[in-house]
Amino acid sequence: MKTIAILALTFPAAVQANEWVNFIRQTQVDSGVIWDMPVAPQGSSPSLLTLEDGGALFQLWTINQTEVQDYLLDQRLVGTYLPGAEIRIETGDPYPHVHRTRADQPFTVHVDVSGLLSGPNLPTASQKVLLEHHLATRPGRRAVIDPVLAISETPHSQGLLESNGTHTLTFSASSLPSADPTAAMGEEHFVVHALPDATIPQTQIATNFLQIWPVASGLIQGIASGDVIRNSVPDLTLNLKDLYPSSTTYLQLYKGHSALGTEGQTIDGSVLVIDRDRTVNRTLVIKDWSELIQDDGMHTLELVTITPFGTERLSFVEFMVNRELQVNAHLGSIESSRSNVGGSSE
Amino acid sequence: MKTALILALGCTSAFGAPMSERISADQLRDIRSKESPVASLSQQAENTQTVTRSKGQSLIKQSVIISDGINWTLVPQGAVLHTPEQHTDRINVPPVGNLMSWKEFLALNYSWIASEEISLRQAKGLDTIDSRRTDYWPKQSRVIVAVHRGGPISVSAPKPAPETAQNQ
Repeated sequence: MKTIAILALTFPAAVQANEWVNFIRQTQVDSGVIWDMPVAPQGSSPSLLTLEDGGALFQLWTINQTEVQDYLLDQRLVGTYLPGAEIRIETGDPYPHVHRTRADQPFTVHVDVSGLLSGPNLPTASQKVLLEHHLATRPGRRAVIDPVLAISETPHSQGLLESNGTHTLTFSASSLPSADPTAAMGEEHFVVHALPDATIPQTQIATNFLQIWPVASGLIQGIASGDVIRNSVPDLTLNLKDLYPSSTTYLQLYKGHSALGTEGQTIDGSVLVIDRDRTVNRTLVIKDWSELIQDDGMHTLELVTITPFGTERLSFVEFMVNRELQVNAHLGSIESSRSNVGGSSE
Repeated sequence: MKTALILALGCTSAFGAPMSERISADQLRDIRSKESPVASLSQQAENTQTVTRSKGQSLIKQSVIISDGINWTLVPQGAVLHTPEQHTDRINVPPVGNLMSWKEFLALNYSWIASEEISLRQAKGLDTIDSRRTDYWPKQSRVIVAVHRGGPISVSAPKPAPETAQNQ
């Protein structure tokens, strides 16, 4: 009997670079024979090794050349008499290389279970599987989370799946711990274990994970709400933090008080298009933006970001424009041949 | 400028969606306060910490490193069937240099390393490798690595034949 090597060879961009080399190792449970499958960088291929009754453990490894560090990306036990499982994750971000979403966004986990038996006098291991939910915070944007360590500790939560078919779990937002939940960053891992019955050396039959990135924030500096602009506009500094890996952020101006959803004029030099594998921090300085101001009166500057989850206002500033030149003149006598003209424009 | 922005926005699938305020920490805390859907599944009655976890495993430590001094690769322990004296310093060495897949490494170093196709029964130790092959290895100068369908494979020592009337 042949089995399919179902460990998907699709990694995040960081794992596709030349500095990473991938291996699939198959260990036969009964005989202990270990075989390294020839693998292509991407795609899937059938295992050419016969699957023994006791099953086989498939492990997907990657090794970083520079650090000479190996990472176990995924593993699963496949066997003729073992229950099977697949974990599928849906998020609002269509990014193809890895499941990812934002800390405030809902996501759905589908667990497809097969091979469970029902009936009297059957061992528990054949009647149910255990689903675990693990949380792994990321200490910095560039930090790598070791997938083995991520699922090595006591799970955040767990529960039993007791029937074949698709079990759908909807999460309203990330569960990653963080003092400010909008700043949560890390990964949420889901693992399905066969319940141990003393005949199998490993219990993990399926795993999948998604990346969680923080909610972006941004400040408009150089101008404050209530300021009055007269003859020149100040330079603006945009402090942008945690811009989503796939996002477009810009500063817009419109006349009037702040009104959410108003389409204003985009300010030159403020548009930032991000297409990365992690969030981005940026500081932008905006100069010479006075040409967008046509009239005096109340104006609003708005910092807007567009992500796969929608369009959001990060911050705004309301300010007054008053460029009216006030001339105070006094016409004196001709004899004086002098007129006093006093003007002011602040 | 407007055109550039429209093009940029077109890259983001949510273009055209109504604008909302950035969510606050308190708003998100409210959303997160709901019970985890995993915790709402039925729970095990007894201690569940009996599942096996993979912490502490290392592919490198569980393999044999083969190096030509510049490049290296790894194969399962038990896959190196024969090592001539002059190549002992290339086997089981620290992993230094450029890591390659077995296939690439073999192609680059065929002058001193060769693969020996092994059946699964031979790998399990149920069948012995043909003695004409094993007798030949010491007479040549290449390292011999067991492979099965192109991939390196561990080989167990042949199991002793069960005693029979003739053996007694």
